[in-house]
Amino acid sequence: MNPIDPRVHQALDGEISPDSLPPELRRQVERLESAAALLVRVPSLEGVERRVMAIIARPAPTRLRRLTRWLVTPHSLVLRVRPVWSVALAAVAVLFAIIPVRETGVRLGREEGVAQFVARFPGAQSVAVVGSFNDWAPGSIPMEDRDHDGVWRASVVLPAGTHEYMFVVDGERWVADPLAGRYVADDFGRENSLLIVRPAHR
Amino acid sequence: MSIRSDPSDPEVVARVLGGDQEAFGILIRRYEPGLLRYATRMLGNGDAAADAVAEGLVRAYRHLASCREPVRLRTWLYRIVANRCKSHLARHSTSDVSLEEAPPMADPADTEAEVERAEQVALVERALERLSPEKRQAFVLKHVEGMSYEEMAAVTGERIPALKMRVHRAREALLEALEEYR
Amino acid sequence: MKRAALLLTLVMAVPTAPHALRAQSVRARLEGRVPASSIPAIDSLIHEAGREGLPTDLLVQKAIEGGAKHVSGERIVKAIELNIDQLRRAQTLLVSAGDMPPVTPSEVAAVVWARKRGLDSATVTRIVSAIPDDRRAAALHAVADLVFHQFQADSATDLILTAVREGMHGGRLLDVSYAAVQEIQRGHTRPEALAMVERQLPNVPTQPPPAKSTLERARRPIAASHTESVTP
Repeated sequence: MNPIDPRVHQALDGEISPDSLPPELRRQVERLESAAALLVRVPSLEGVERRVMAIIARPAPTRLRRLTRWLVTPHSLVLRVRPVWSVALAAVAVLFAIIPVRETGVRLGREEGVAQFVARFPGAQSVAVVGSFNDWAPGSIPMEDRDHDGVWRASVVLPAGTHEYMFVVDGERWVADPLAGRYVADDFGRENSLLIVRPAHR
Repeated sequence: MSIRSDPSDPEVVARVLGGDQEAFGILIRRYEPGLLRYATRMLGNGDAAADAVAEGLVRAYRHLASCREPVRLRTWLYRIVANRCKSHLARHSTSDVSLEEAPPMADPADTEAEVERAEQVALVERALERLSPEKRQAFVLKHVEGMSYEEMAAVTGERIPALKMRVHRAREALLEALEEYR
Repeated sequence: MKRAALLLTLVMAVPTAPHALRAQSVRARLEGRVPASSIPAIDSLIHEAGREGLPTDLLVQKAIEGGAKHVSGERIVKAIELNIDQLRRAQTLLVSAGDMPPVTPSEVAAVVWARKRGLDSATVTRIVSAIPDDRRAAALHAVADLVFHQFQADSATDLILTAVREGMHGGRLLDVSYAAVQEIQRGHTRPEALAMVERQLPNVPTQPPPAKSTLERARRPIAASHTESVTP
């Protein structure tokens, strides 16, 4: 890149008059100014104003409006739409990449990860996780509510990948995880929650 | 309501913040052409430019209360759109950001002068495209949007000496590119 | 870093060679778990599917699930038929999207998940066409996440494909969709949320790792049945 004579810059910055320059430098000034002039005209695009006004006119939902909408939206057997507060809980309910093997109580294979299940069942005597990873057998993954606050937890080593699951409450009530955020029809008239386990080692 | 021509930016901002949503349209009409031109020169793509400008304007509306000096609304708006363009460029490799492939097609009915002009525009656009985003931005703000170095500093957040350097380098690079194409 | 070893395979465990399925193993897995009278029908359906090159482990799992849920043998059979149909359609979709047959079981499973989660076939086709390899499964799930939260399928797909082009894959794509959902929870519109997340790419926050205490308590399912290996 060849440096330009500083006087050209000065002329282009309006600090001196181009007329005071020798012809070659004046030519450079003109070349750049006409190039800029060519760039000034741009085909105008229709619709930007309309687009912007349309977005602005739409009211941003207030918390109350969102909650109201959620309350009046018909739900299927299982919760489909979660209110805002549950996002925080849902964040822990799904999947994690985790720290290497040494720091866990269990040795994890290359294609395994840890799933953390969390659910609120106040008043329940027992809650178990059942799913495609344990042939849907209750008793295989019991959850714990150590401080008896109605929040049940289990962290489980599972193969990486997609799994369907439900909770079984008190040995008899089968419920999809309301915090899962992912559901599929179970083809038996109900819905399963979906879990995606990320491998521990990346 | 009395109809006034050309209310100032601070006046319009006050109206919008007072609840007159429609008044924002005045600001859009006032600044959209320049913003769109800037974004088009930066991104080389009309659609991407329209998106950047639309997003920028929506954002400006939502954050209008945080524009501390409505009298400097113009540079504030350019700043917002410049950031949109910057993100777009950072995400797309330079090979993706190419100007519309074919030079503007000249209609056979066009005069020779118009055809020549179209070719010249394409030439300059190609030269501009070869500049780095920082230099391109500096050149466009200075010579296409006609901003002072103070205004450019407000838009980019860069210091004036650094901006001057970029503009100088941009001019050099552009001149070289233009000479090359002759 | 061996790419193969670090793949995120978002599919249920499937055997490598479905046609290698032995008659014994299907019946053995079903016995005691589904109504005895329905076993011959289920068994026959599953073997038929295996001969077509469809992943059969999903079908066995579905039958076991029905049994565990105390569903009638008839309903289990119906569910198996339904799932076979879904697997066939998924296979067809993949082939018409350009995959060379035979389509691998994990690919078929990924498409079935996506369709079950509500993605229409045009969206699924778009995604599998744009991503020729195993990153599809994560992308499909990520888009399905967004669609579940009422994002438009097209713009959701745009975002995820952009993320893929940035080199993001596996669980990171789920971080992308999660970030967009968070933005609407904060009150932004969906187009705004997508735009905001797109601007952050590839530096979308990753989901927080579990607490140490959680990891220490992590354990395997008690008396877990077969450990099917996950096919790369």
